[in-house]
Amino acid sequence: MSPTQKKRLKIIGLIVTGVAIAAFFALRAFQANIEYFLTPAEISAGEFEPGVSYRIAGLVQKGSVSTLADGVTHQFTITDCVDDVVVQYTGILPDLFREGQAIVSLGKLNADKLMIASQVLAKHDENYVPTEAADAMMLAQASKCDNAEGPISY
Amino acid sequence: MNPFKSIWNFLYISFHRLGSPREFYTISAYATPVFGLLFLGLSTYGAYLGLFVAPADYQQGDSFRIIYVHVPAAWLSLFIYVVMACASAIGLIWRMKMAFVVALCSAPIGAAFTFLALATGSLWGAPIWGTWWEWDARLTSELILLFLYSGVMALYYAFDDRRTAERATAMLAVVGVVIVPIIHYSVEWWSSLHQGATVFREGGPAMPANMLTPLLLMALGFTFFYGYCLFHRARNMVLHNERNSSWVREMINELE
Repeated sequence: MSPTQKKRLKIIGLIVTGVAIAAFFALRAFQANIEYFLTPAEISAGEFEPGVSYRIAGLVQKGSVSTLADGVTHQFTITDCVDDVVVQYTGILPDLFREGQAIVSLGKLNADKLMIASQVLAKHDENYVPTEAADAMMLAQASKCDNAEGPISY
Repeated sequence: MNPFKSIWNFLYISFHRLGSPREFYTISAYATPVFGLLFLGLSTYGAYLGLFVAPADYQQGDSFRIIYVHVPAAWLSLFIYVVMACASAIGLIWRMKMAFVVALCSAPIGAAFTFLALATGSLWGAPIWGTWWEWDARLTSELILLFLYSGVMALYYAFDDRRTAERATAMLAVVGVVIVPIIHYSVEWWSSLHQGATVFREGGPAMPANMLTPLLLMALGFTFFYGYCLFHRARNMVLHNERNSSWVREMINELE
């Protein structure tokens, strides 16, 4: 490498490092905005404001799914195995919705921490399993919280 | 003679020969169809295994099979960006003609793969998540990658002078490489609707071998498709850039 080439390499290295550092700080500054959802524990830990929209994700708690008297509103509890939030949603639930499934729901919380959701999305994880093993997997997923000692990730 | 030394010498000489536009034009005439055939073979076999042999997923059923296009396209969108950035850096430091050609010809192919990843992701998200698009970290950063590719292409054609265009574009491509780790780690650093990594993760792939093999075959096939397209585009660009040189003129005269 000739001296000019070395100089060019150094300049490029410096510019890329500079941009990387700038990107790092920019992303750090927007950390809270880039987060897609909050967990029930984060909602309980922080002060939530009634009437403000939040996106909360959690597993649908075992045995918590019911339909209200009007026949079209679903009520269920989402949990991270430590804290939970009760959600009411009027509309069609995603196909993957079931006990133990991770769900992201968007909506406003009332003063009693009850969420009136305007959107419910299913969030699947990174595991792919053949259908033959489905029963065992479904059971494992539905009872994730039974053995959990702290908040779980999903 | 030491066999390793002779292999190394061969690679070293081939690399230098590929650095000359004329030699590249000669060698790529043989390499292009080989890449095309490898792409056809690998991706046909991969698609067959993925669509007919791999078992359905326990929760997504058959709709998970779009993974065999979505994931290779997404990997390629990142891989091509890294190739483009490295070629740009080589071009900037050593003022190598062919490096700029490789970088510039990679941009539209990378953009196409990025678009394919976004489109198939959207098609996948609609039935499984229940939405076509969400502004989560992975989806948004991948969309920025598409804009970056578009920016690289637009910048190149914004200059009249080719040398200025090549250098300015290469600088943008090099700097933009910071997006690649951001996209890869977006599902770890922030909460997202998009799933975490299935293949490149701690503890090995979260997928049995009969689901993983078609995925890897497709990814390899797509890589050869990238090489095939790259060679085609690069051959055209070399002819265009070298249109005043004697070897191109001779070749045209022979045709006439």
